[in-house]
Amino acid sequence: MKAPCASPSRRYFLRSVGATLALPTLHSLLPNALGGSPALGATASETATPNRMVAIGNLLGYQLPYLFPEKPGKNYQSTRLLKPLEALRDDFTLYSGLDHGVKGGHFAVHSFMTGVLTMDAKGRPDGNISLDQLAAESVAGRTRFPSLTVGSESGIHGGCQLSWTRSGVRVPPIPGPKELFERLFVGEPASQLAKVKDKHALQGSILDAMTGNAKTLQKRIDQEDKDKLDEYLTSVREVEKQLQLKEQWVEVPKPEAPFELPGNTNMVEDLPLLYDLMVLALQTDSTRIATLEIGGDFEPKHLGITNGYHTLSHHGKKQENIDQLLVLEEYQFRQFARFLGKLKAIEDGDGSLLDHTSVLFGSGMSNANSHSNSNLPIILAGGGFEHGEYKDVPMGHHKVPLCNLYLSVLNRFGVERDNFGTSTGTFL
Amino acid sequence: MKFHWLAIAILAPSFQLPAEDKAKVATDFLATYCLECHDDLTQEGERNFYDLEFPITDEKGLIAVQEIIDALNLGEMPPKKAEQPDEAERAAAVAALSGQVADVYASLKSTGGQTVLRRLNEREYLNTLEDLFARRVDTFAPTSTFPTDQTAEHIDTLGDVLVTSGFLLDNYFHAADRVVEKALGQIGRPKVMEWTFKDSFRPGAEMSYSHKKVFNNRFLCLYEVMNSANHEGGYGGINEFKEGVHADGIYEVKVLAQAMHRDSHYDKEILKMDLSEPYRLGIVTGTGSIGELHHPQPIEPQLDEVTLKDGEPQWYTMKIWLEKGQQPRFTFPNGMANCRTAFSRIAREYNDDWPDDDKHGGSIVEARRIVLQHGKMPHIRISEVKLSGPHYETWPPEPQKIVFGEGGFKQANTGRILSDFARRAFRRPVEPGEMKQFTDLVDARIAAGHSPRQATLDAIKGILCSPSFLYLGEAGAEKGGALSSHDLASRLSYFLTGTMPDPELMKLAESGAILQKDILLKQVDRLLDEKRSDAFLDGFLDSWLNLRALGDQPPDRQVSGEYFYDDLETAMQEEVKYFTRDLIEHNGSITNYLRSDYAWINYPLAELYGIEEQFPNDDRYTFQKVGLTQSNRGGLLGMAAIHTVSANGLETSPVVRGIYILENLLGSPPPKPPDEVPELEPDTRGATSIRDQLLKHREMKTCAACHVSIDPPGFALENFDPIGRWRSKYPDKNGKPGKGPRIDASGEATDGTPFSGVAEFKGYLMKRKDVFAQHLAERLLTYGMGRRVEALDRPAVEHILKVTKANQYGLRTMIREVVVSDCFLSR
Repeated sequence: MKAPCASPSRRYFLRSVGATLALPTLHSLLPNALGGSPALGATASETATPNRMVAIGNLLGYQLPYLFPEKPGKNYQSTRLLKPLEALRDDFTLYSGLDHGVKGGHFAVHSFMTGVLTMDAKGRPDGNISLDQLAAESVAGRTRFPSLTVGSESGIHGGCQLSWTRSGVRVPPIPGPKELFERLFVGEPASQLAKVKDKHALQGSILDAMTGNAKTLQKRIDQEDKDKLDEYLTSVREVEKQLQLKEQWVEVPKPEAPFELPGNTNMVEDLPLLYDLMVLALQTDSTRIATLEIGGDFEPKHLGITNGYHTLSHHGKKQENIDQLLVLEEYQFRQFARFLGKLKAIEDGDGSLLDHTSVLFGSGMSNANSHSNSNLPIILAGGGFEHGEYKDVPMGHHKVPLCNLYLSVLNRFGVERDNFGTSTGTFL
Repeated sequence: MKFHWLAIAILAPSFQLPAEDKAKVATDFLATYCLECHDDLTQEGERNFYDLEFPITDEKGLIAVQEIIDALNLGEMPPKKAEQPDEAERAAAVAALSGQVADVYASLKSTGGQTVLRRLNEREYLNTLEDLFARRVDTFAPTSTFPTDQTAEHIDTLGDVLVTSGFLLDNYFHAADRVVEKALGQIGRPKVMEWTFKDSFRPGAEMSYSHKKVFNNRFLCLYEVMNSANHEGGYGGINEFKEGVHADGIYEVKVLAQAMHRDSHYDKEILKMDLSEPYRLGIVTGTGSIGELHHPQPIEPQLDEVTLKDGEPQWYTMKIWLEKGQQPRFTFPNGMANCRTAFSRIAREYNDDWPDDDKHGGSIVEARRIVLQHGKMPHIRISEVKLSGPHYETWPPEPQKIVFGEGGFKQANTGRILSDFARRAFRRPVEPGEMKQFTDLVDARIAAGHSPRQATLDAIKGILCSPSFLYLGEAGAEKGGALSSHDLASRLSYFLTGTMPDPELMKLAESGAILQKDILLKQVDRLLDEKRSDAFLDGFLDSWLNLRALGDQPPDRQVSGEYFYDDLETAMQEEVKYFTRDLIEHNGSITNYLRSDYAWINYPLAELYGIEEQFPNDDRYTFQKVGLTQSNRGGLLGMAAIHTVSANGLETSPVVRGIYILENLLGSPPPKPPDEVPELEPDTRGATSIRDQLLKHREMKTCAACHVSIDPPGFALENFDPIGRWRSKYPDKNGKPGKGPRIDASGEATDGTPFSGVAEFKGYLMKRKDVFAQHLAERLLTYGMGRRVEALDRPAVEHILKVTKANQYGLRTMIREVVVSDCFLSR
């Protein structure tokens, strides 16, 4: 077993220092494959600067007394866990009092980004689709990856399990920086490429046949039915456009790697690198949606703490346990702050990359000591929302569901709908 | 907006007034009794009759006048507090207005509304794929990524509502790709493999410690039902076989199983299972690559079930269909409600049973071990599983024979294979030249380096993405708007069987014989008598009564555990289906929906209803027709499905339930509440009851207009809790059932009839059975035609009602008459 590494960030700094320096500005990495359009994914209806979404979830929650300030409002007194975010005070909002109204302790953490427990998903119109996957559906084809899910595969009772498709299947995370790097910067093997291209060719031929069939129909139906058929033909053209984009993505070489292929170390030491790669993924417009799960493989021993994370989380109100947990949590907050700082430093359109990225940070667990899923720790940063406040949302009988906040984030992303999960309206 | 026109037929003789007189009588009456509230300024109930001009020239006027007639006939208007016309005045007004309506029909050409090109909904799409390929598809759920179909008023067959998007079309492509490769892609007969699993059954994470310690993992154990709260012992998957089987097909599963501890002495309240019945061993699919095998998975159709004998372990054999990558998972449909809590409580509450050196210390991990080691925990114990397959009786398999012909694929037959398939998929003959785009597709794929066989498969995928397959009613209408024989065969088939026409219907469509009324009626009877018409029960009852929404708002597990461990959700839906199936079989009267002296229930429902004694035998899971001795149950208003779908799982609201009854039984949904009125918060726990709140609400005039009809049916149902149990008291402040204020379910129906509770309210509904009949006929028509019933369909509806009434309100008669009605036969 590896010895605890007291200072993971120094060694890491050396190997990734070039990461953002080497990178050209947004979009310019992409070839002018579409007749000089700035970004491959950009369409006429889209504004020059696309919207992004990032969500970060942890498995065991945070020590709320060290996170939530005493008084809400703009002039809240910063807390121990918020300290690393002090410089970014105007770029985020901290919420208390929000949750999904679910119970189940570890068994309910997976509802963090969906609002719905998997066992309640059957029969719901959108199943238990998560925030990121719903957003990803809306931008399919515009970027190489509709979304990137990153982080811990496992953890107690299944781990964070952030991302879910509408068919109720968990989208597994890319486990480490090595695999993420390969996805982002290393091309597909030729055999795989040929298969993908052939599937595109088949879909292309089928689209032709579909149009042909529709045209024969058109001749013998009346006006009302023609309108209906137009809806079909419009959809065909939509798929054609998407297919064209997908085909081009296959041809488009991946962005040049900013540094050499990293190896995987462990979740603790890799965390800054994972964040950096997520920045790169957004910056190169490889994707517009990313999630990060901080789960079972975030092991305290790599921060010099011998007890297990889950064991510690049942701290029994013992201060020595809480202090050790705070070491782990402060580390997570520091890396999160560093991530936000990077997004803020990158220019994007009329503002920074952070201005165009809604970043959600929190956990489906509020108090692991009592297995509570109520009053979750939630931070929303960037996205062009107004920030700089600590909002304490009243709990009680008809409280505002966390999904209302999610709906606002979805709307900001550009998904036009009036409900998500258990929402009753928008929040912002 | 809805309208009724029952009065018309009865009053027909008085239509003969001269046109000017009719107009004057009507105008005077409206001015005297109606315009005070329904003028252009007040517009009470969103109704404005100020602009109404006679003679009526448009549909808007027609609807308004029909509404007025209804309100007058039913005595709902003018409101009781307002000045009342005498009976003669009322009758004269009704006659005059009815005359106006008759005139409109004389002047308007009754062509009926039209159904727009209608897409198959997801349900129909899946059924059709199964028929096209003679193969199950629910085992791999090709539509699981589809966006949910849009509905209007719960109906899922409306052409204008079923939209198509790029996202859906892309999904059609991927679904077609998967289905065709699965059904036709296998070239050689797959090798038969055999597996034996014993001595090592690694359980899920929660049970791993106890099973290792106590059994050394020698057994695969099942403890609880599938939908328990924690999922620790409801699914027995084989973790040593995560990769699953190597090919699709039928597999033989032999399992050595034993029913353990049916004589367990543990408290029934803890176990929450019935030890008096033999254990049932079920089997569902599992996919090791997508998630934990001991958790629920998105695709897990029930494959088979056996009942275990008591005593020593015995071998049981089942034959099941598995897709490549899947494995069988065992289940315990009548197991404990939740084994996590049971282990924990038994370890604690039976601490005296454990040896002195092994007392329970409080942790759940040790609790499981202690109870398994020293106790008598009921469970199914599996010690060996043998799996072999796939066993194909013939090769090529059925789907390939159906598509390629008996001898399998031959390149020379490509053209015929494709046109035969297209004819079945398009549900009509293929026109000359129409196949060109698909033979072009074959050529393109061959040119791209694929085999002729693969290229043909790809063209079949193309057919499955074409509008001619995806849309109904595209064959084109005959002169005068009548459906062509093929479109009629499809409409009938999707109406009654939810899928494409079978060979017999296709033959009658080819010859055109289906257009003859007597032949058509024979087909209606044939389809209704077949098991396949279960698809009609599923689709129509979901559409009419919104039963598909059951489970959207699940009840609290603490208060209503049986909803989960007795699978009441399914049972509730089944009850309505069995009830309806029975009416169809015996041409029973639709008034049984309003009031019946029997119910179709299984034992868990009998328990829920508190009528276990009336349940005839011990066969718990078979639905039986049970005679009722008291009148609170019976009819739709006595069915838990209705109580549950009109509640939110946790609390009930007379307003929500009242609207549900108005909408779905009487076809007269109230208008939306005005924006400025705050929503009523159901708070039945405080000092003020919901009834008091509503009465107060009704003091406001704007509210009263609608709530006078909304509240009564809601009040009548107050004795039913959110999952349909009878209650005489509300829950208390802490949600404890039966501890709060007493329930008053009395009220006064819109026509002034007082009722003391649900039983008497049913009597009131029986008085309005014709309104109900009309609504049901309209729902059937709407669902069957794929379009809304419009004012111009009125003569057709009237005719359906006339014949149905003449046949003692028989449901089968009504369905038959719907099919042979002018509007069903037209575009």
